[in-house]
Amino acid sequence: MTTTAEIIIIGGGVNGLACAYDLAKSGMKKIVVLEKGYLGVGATGRCGAGVRQQWGMEENIILARESVRIFEKLPEELGFNVFFRQGGYLVLIFDEHEYDLVTRSIPVQNKLDVPSRLLDPKDVAELVPGINLDGVLGAAYCPTDGVCYPYAVLWGYGEAARRLGVDIRTHTEVTGIDVLDDGTYSVTTANGSYNAPRILNVAGARTKDIAALIGIDIPTKPHRHEIAVTDALKPFLDPVVISLKKGFYFSQSLRGEIVGGIGDDNEPSSYSTKSSIDFLFRYASALRDVFPALGKVRIIRQWAGLYDVSPDARPIMGAVDGFDGYYHACGFSGHGFMLSPITAKLLTELITTGSTSIPIDTLGLTRFDKGPLTKDPYVVG
Amino acid sequence: MGKTILCHCEDVDVEEVYSAHKQGFGDLETLRRYTGVGTGKCQGKCCIVQTLRVLASIESERSGGDSEHAKPSLTGDPGRLHLPTARPPVLPMRVDDIIEARKENE
Repeated sequence: MTTTAEIIIIGGGVNGLACAYDLAKSGMKKIVVLEKGYLGVGATGRCGAGVRQQWGMEENIILARESVRIFEKLPEELGFNVFFRQGGYLVLIFDEHEYDLVTRSIPVQNKLDVPSRLLDPKDVAELVPGINLDGVLGAAYCPTDGVCYPYAVLWGYGEAARRLGVDIRTHTEVTGIDVLDDGTYSVTTANGSYNAPRILNVAGARTKDIAALIGIDIPTKPHRHEIAVTDALKPFLDPVVISLKKGFYFSQSLRGEIVGGIGDDNEPSSYSTKSSIDFLFRYASALRDVFPALGKVRIIRQWAGLYDVSPDARPIMGAVDGFDGYYHACGFSGHGFMLSPITAKLLTELITTGSTSIPIDTLGLTRFDKGPLTKDPYVVG
Repeated sequence: MGKTILCHCEDVDVEEVYSAHKQGFGDLETLRRYTGVGTGKCQGKCCIVQTLRVLASIESERSGGDSEHAKPSLTGDPGRLHLPTARPPVLPMRVDDIIEARKENE
């Protein structure tokens, strides 16, 4: 049986459901979302939940700032509590190079209305009781950054999309895509086929595999990233504490658990989401290094998810020349959740009007042929 | 009627599972994230099987079957009635002890 639609969205993660909602709200009818597992089974449900506007490149600062503005209004927009807690982000400075980067970037962030500022070690100690200041030269701090519960955002968008008539099919894996003679797309799944003049490919680390089905080459690579969670503690940690140099981040969830991770430069590209003992070892050392008192705390769970890493660690989004009606967003390199509200807004504008309120032409696939590529120095892990 | 607690760590009772299921959070993976069942100190060792049993009863009631003696079926809707992925560590481990174990491992 073939179901026809105006658009088929491939991927039931936060980007897929946010796009489904925004498109439905813009008036599009007959929207189908195809998800191979349960909603959020990929990177959305496995991510670190951070939302930050402190970036080095103007493009990233603007996208993140606009995302935060949407996050702030999401509960009333969706009728769903998304637990957005703006406790700030604290970027620890460990050497002169980082000090230089941060002091150059703060004025750029401020110019773009992101209220970041430089803290000296004494301010850091006041903000985060019990933090180990050995080697800390200071920190950059933005009070309007924070954490948001990814599943709540996903469900909020999903429920609101359903109310607007979006057809969300879970446990429906895409096995093939054909471009028909009339230019429409025929998407095959184990549970029937779907036909539409447009497809939106937002399948996380699998986006490149979906694109390959119609001959589009996306140069992203999947990389495993791991996270661990401790027992719940009394609230003491307002901001997310991160280090660009050491690649860690720690935050406290609303349930009180310390949630965090640490990158591994030697991690090879793979689709593995297995937990490793090596990560647990490195993570425990990093956690106690930053918060000596947490040596007594228990780690109760660890898991892994995939970053979809692009060659310059910047998102890939938009249309693709020669494929009318095809759109995608991927390559978020660990920042897909925090950018999802603005990604959905811009893709919806592009799909429904042909242009976007914030330029995204620098985020197209063709940049990889042109070079040289610019990487944002504020990427962690 | 009194409360029947399913998950002692996160204080989730049977009514909450019914309510979550009604709102569309019936997939065990989703139910865990929505209610917190099985995500506390014991990581589901004490409650996940019982939760599956409750889900099976709900499914059975919905299809007009015998809810009292319903058993989890592993062949029902994909993704719904199966055990979630077990995550390490098997038991909660102190950060200090993990760091000690690392030293012994090297």
